[in-house]
Amino acid sequence: MRARSIAIFLIRRALALLVLLVLISFLVFGLLYLAPGNAVQVLLGTHPSSPAIVAAMTAKYHLNDSFIQQYLLWLQGASHLNLGVSIQTGQTVTSLISSRIGLTVFLGLYAFVIAVAAGVPGGVIAAMRSRTVADRAIVGVSLLGVSVPAFVSGVFLLYLLAIHAGWFPVYGPGSGFPDELWHLTLPALALAFGVMALIVKLTRAAMVTVLEQDYIAFARARGVAPARVIVRHGLRNALGPIVTAGGLILGVVLTGAVLVEQVFALPGIGSLLITAVSTKDVPVVQGFTLLAAALLIGANFLIDLCYLFIDPQITAGRGLA
Amino acid sequence: MSGGLTAGPAGEPAAGGDPLLQVRGLRIASRIQGVQRVITVGSDFSLAPGETLGIVGESGSGKSMTARALIGLLPAGVRAEGEVIYRGRNVLALPEHELRQLRGAELAMVFQDPFTMLNPLMRCGAQIVELIRDENGRPLRRAARRAEAVRRLAEVGITDAAVADAYPAELSGGMRQRVGIAASIARDPQVLIADEPSTALDVTTQREILARLREVQQGRGMGLILITHDLRVAFALCDRVLVLYAGSVLETAGAAPMEAEPLHPYTLGLLLSDPPVDRRLSQMAAIPGSVPAPGDVAGTCTFAARCEWRADACTAAAPPLTQVAAGRWSACLRVAEIGPQMQAARAGAQAARDGDAGRAASPAAAGTAGAVVTVRDLEKVFGSSHRAGRRVPALKGVSLQIGADEAVGLVGESGSGKTTLGRCLAGLERPTAGTVLVNGRDATQQAGLSRAERRRLRRTVQMVFQDPYSTLNPARTIGATLAEAIAAADEQGRDIRAAVGELLERVGLPARYAERKPVALSGGERQRVAIARALAVRPRLIVCDEPVSALDVSVQAQILNLLTEVRRELAVSYLFITHDLAVVRQVAERVYVLREGLVVEEGQTGAVLDRPQHWYTRMLVDSIPSSDEAWLARAAEAESERLGSGDGDDADDSRARIAR
Amino acid sequence: MTVITAPDSGLVGLASRRGRRRPSLLIGLSLLIVVLVATCAIFGSLLAPHPANAQDLLAGVHTASGRHWLGTDDFGRDIFSRLIVGARAAVIGPVLIALGALVIGNALGLIAGYVGGRTDYFIMRLADLVWALPGLLIAIVVVGVIGGGYYIAVAVLIVLTFPIDARIVRGATLQQRTMPYVEAAATLGLSPWRLMIRHIWPNLLPLVMANTFLNFAFSLVSLAGLSFLGLGVPLNTPDWGAMLAQNLPLIQTNPLACLAPAAALVLTATSMNLIGDWVYERLSDRGRAR
Repeated sequence: MRARSIAIFLIRRALALLVLLVLISFLVFGLLYLAPGNAVQVLLGTHPSSPAIVAAMTAKYHLNDSFIQQYLLWLQGASHLNLGVSIQTGQTVTSLISSRIGLTVFLGLYAFVIAVAAGVPGGVIAAMRSRTVADRAIVGVSLLGVSVPAFVSGVFLLYLLAIHAGWFPVYGPGSGFPDELWHLTLPALALAFGVMALIVKLTRAAMVTVLEQDYIAFARARGVAPARVIVRHGLRNALGPIVTAGGLILGVVLTGAVLVEQVFALPGIGSLLITAVSTKDVPVVQGFTLLAAALLIGANFLIDLCYLFIDPQITAGRGLA
Repeated sequence: MSGGLTAGPAGEPAAGGDPLLQVRGLRIASRIQGVQRVITVGSDFSLAPGETLGIVGESGSGKSMTARALIGLLPAGVRAEGEVIYRGRNVLALPEHELRQLRGAELAMVFQDPFTMLNPLMRCGAQIVELIRDENGRPLRRAARRAEAVRRLAEVGITDAAVADAYPAELSGGMRQRVGIAASIARDPQVLIADEPSTALDVTTQREILARLREVQQGRGMGLILITHDLRVAFALCDRVLVLYAGSVLETAGAAPMEAEPLHPYTLGLLLSDPPVDRRLSQMAAIPGSVPAPGDVAGTCTFAARCEWRADACTAAAPPLTQVAAGRWSACLRVAEIGPQMQAARAGAQAARDGDAGRAASPAAAGTAGAVVTVRDLEKVFGSSHRAGRRVPALKGVSLQIGADEAVGLVGESGSGKTTLGRCLAGLERPTAGTVLVNGRDATQQAGLSRAERRRLRRTVQMVFQDPYSTLNPARTIGATLAEAIAAADEQGRDIRAAVGELLERVGLPARYAERKPVALSGGERQRVAIARALAVRPRLIVCDEPVSALDVSVQAQILNLLTEVRRELAVSYLFITHDLAVVRQVAERVYVLREGLVVEEGQTGAVLDRPQHWYTRMLVDSIPSSDEAWLARAAEAESERLGSGDGDDADDSRARIAR
Repeated sequence: MTVITAPDSGLVGLASRRGRRRPSLLIGLSLLIVVLVATCAIFGSLLAPHPANAQDLLAGVHTASGRHWLGTDDFGRDIFSRLIVGARAAVIGPVLIALGALVIGNALGLIAGYVGGRTDYFIMRLADLVWALPGLLIAIVVVGVIGGGYYIAVAVLIVLTFPIDARIVRGATLQQRTMPYVEAAATLGLSPWRLMIRHIWPNLLPLVMANTFLNFAFSLVSLAGLSFLGLGVPLNTPDWGAMLAQNLPLIQTNPLACLAPAAALVLTATSMNLIGDWVYERLSDRGRAR
């Protein structure tokens, strides 16, 4: 009974997210037509134009077909990871992205680990010591983190730790794992600051609510050890709202990565996007956007899965809409 | 000031040798953001092994904080001074890690609200055996854990082993409270502190829980401290009772002597303002005013401002708790001189009985023609109309009638549909089927009515709600709230300002209250304003949904008296919704008993309560706490009667009941 | 039967009661900064010691001096003047976004919460969709492909902000709607509009105000990011985000050229966040204890 309702729940969620992905892909494809100028001009970019080239482009991209047909053709390609060719470099979008995604994933994970490692304990401590100096300090730092965008904290870190103190390299991705870790530490810290602030805020709010509950006092009254009260009875119940914000956090990481790569001159997909945007390289922008959407949707599905473990009472239709 | 100056009951040798727990000069104060607030001013008491001590107090008396101080669980910002001696050690002075050894193992506590007391993400069995270790101090293995949990559940009367695997949300309140008790006594503590363990439960479940507590306590020879606001409950369960008011102990005595002859005016007042269930009083003895903040009455007798026997000496200094007879302690300076007067007041109140005859309903007058409201076959189903599984029927075909100038009681437990019925009358809920005739007009069919007519129809029925803290808009002044109501009744040329003043005076509040915002008012005062707001539009019927159940006992009587008075002057009808039979006896001529969406019994209030016909009504009547020794003993009997009554699905239907 | 206990018998009630709070030094400072920034945004070019775009190519980059308090950039432009004049471009978008989301979000949220039905369904789905979307990233893509710059970005951010506001207001409205004080007003025969606007909305004010401040701070940071990437304000318009990007290469020669606009951003955003929190605490305290 339970297994079945879980399966139904997951299938329904998966279908809904798939529909969403298709919807987004439609919008992404539409970008080509939203750009100023006609599609051929957009696809030619700054290349010289001649009637022959225009005819060739029209044929190659099926530009005489109806919008829907073009979209379906594009979607078919996209589903085979064929996202077209970069106008600027002539490379396929897929190869461009795959050559650069490693760095961004590394940076993002690095930052995420720092943010969770600092943010969750920070939020828990702030909630436990609510309204004390420790709480105010942690809340103050997280308030600063929310107010300071990643590119600004990047600039400050760059100035203080790389230029002024000279402890870290100023720019570039480095080569080899230790060197890469070394080079990416400052960017990851800059990125992690805002993410950490968000996690602190969420964790603190969830924990403050949970710690006020009678079942926490009741656990203490029974003599349950403090660490177990905080983790097993407290954090366990606060996990829901924190995990729910996973999609939001991924969004912050992605956005932050785009900006931070710019500050530290890192060749990840963020800087690929910015180059593409400034050169009106629409296929690359489309590729990036589709990738970001797929990531976010995948993350949301993962969150749904997590929820099943967090709240054993959830069955299809109850608790999750 | 300090209770330590006098030989309080702390010095009194407890029956049966050394006390198990000895409290001396317990002062509790909070300091939050630099603001200091006194919670208790120094209590002394003791608990003997195997003894049950009741700590009785209204809101703000400091009873819950006292309970928490005893096991060192005060919230952040609250500090306790004095001594709580357990086995030669002062609990208040122990470091946290030593305190933790005591908690659960020696001193345990059960909380008020079974719906929030258990961890929602942990199975009940796991919470019960969470701290049980084998003889080598190791956690139990899986099979042993479950066996142990089932055994512990059986001790609190749960024989269904499946409960051990259930999550709290799958259980009813009564079941959860029993799981809570099982969890708190899992490590065989010497003292159990129960903080209002039955207050959040229905009256019928309340007795079961109290009976379980008594059983467990006697079976183990534990000391039990019962914190409650209800003197009746304390007298039913406790050997000794301590009365706490605004942070100071006013009286302690054995339960029986105290019930027979209270030796403090406050205790007397509490007893008198508790409405009797066996007769109707023309006027209830209310204590004027409301409970003060402990800090505001420090250095005086805390009750002086509300006491009819107040003398100058009462406010000169805080009177110490002194022994007045064997086993009897009172903090009243004048107890010796006013003793006879207090006894006379008690006797007078007990003799006072204007009888239900005084204002008997005339069912003849309540024919359909003269009726303010006639309800026929009312049904209400909550939930989506698409999914059958989620449809929750609240009313399954209820018919009732309320005549002009008649007060009708509607009695039932949670889930009976009583509130839904009231809300349907007030137009706050749309019935699924059936008719509601207001003034002979069908209020459910408003299609043909003009907007003004619709509004007039709406105003015919007004409502007074349970919770005084959310019944008034916190953003508006009392005056603005009342003025809006007066203006809504669209009587041209009425001087609204004057009308607001009149209304306030009618409900016993000074006219200057119009300038105030709700936060500046006490619960009782807010409920008065809510009554004034209902009266402002000159309704024919006021639906009172548990209007006094959130109020302190000493204030309840004031509001009940006010309602009676208002009806005498204004000829308005009431539908009085309550779970409390004693209250309904005081206000209603006729009563309907509702159970699971159906009327199971109706009739003259006196007749129904004195000679209940339906088993359910009998059980409700029997659930009223009584100090009669047999009362608790009958709990098991009542349970089996309910089970045998055909629809006795309760004991295990509690499992299926999903928290709403 | 639900038993309601008076607030002061609950521990939570006790813990949440606070003393009267005066604005702390931090809040005073925050208010001062906000006033200062607002003054610069309105009167910027009158206050600046030098014209913001006056170039002195021969002079080139200089560090701070008596003449140029924060030095100059590689075009010899006075950083201090550009900082003052740049306040307008930095602030005007966030103001529009915060106000736009306030008006649309509150109207829709109240209706969704009080009336329910289709509006409610639509808003909830929209908010679900928008909640986890990285607004800035979308603005980058849209502005990057379509062009149109600053005001398109502002419009995109309004569209991505108001559903969240609407959801917050809806949730609070739902909570208030079942409060006895609202139901009592309903039995007086008052119109739904009056209930929503005169009764419910004033009680949402702390939430709404605080949220508006937070929205402002968030969009300040987002729009600065856009300008930092060269997608916000037109070229050469003095703007904090754009200055940060343009002067990043000067970080070794005149660090103040990029640190000063960065600091301006951080101070303004932090101040707005602090004020938002403070307003929330103050206004919600006022309802609780006087």
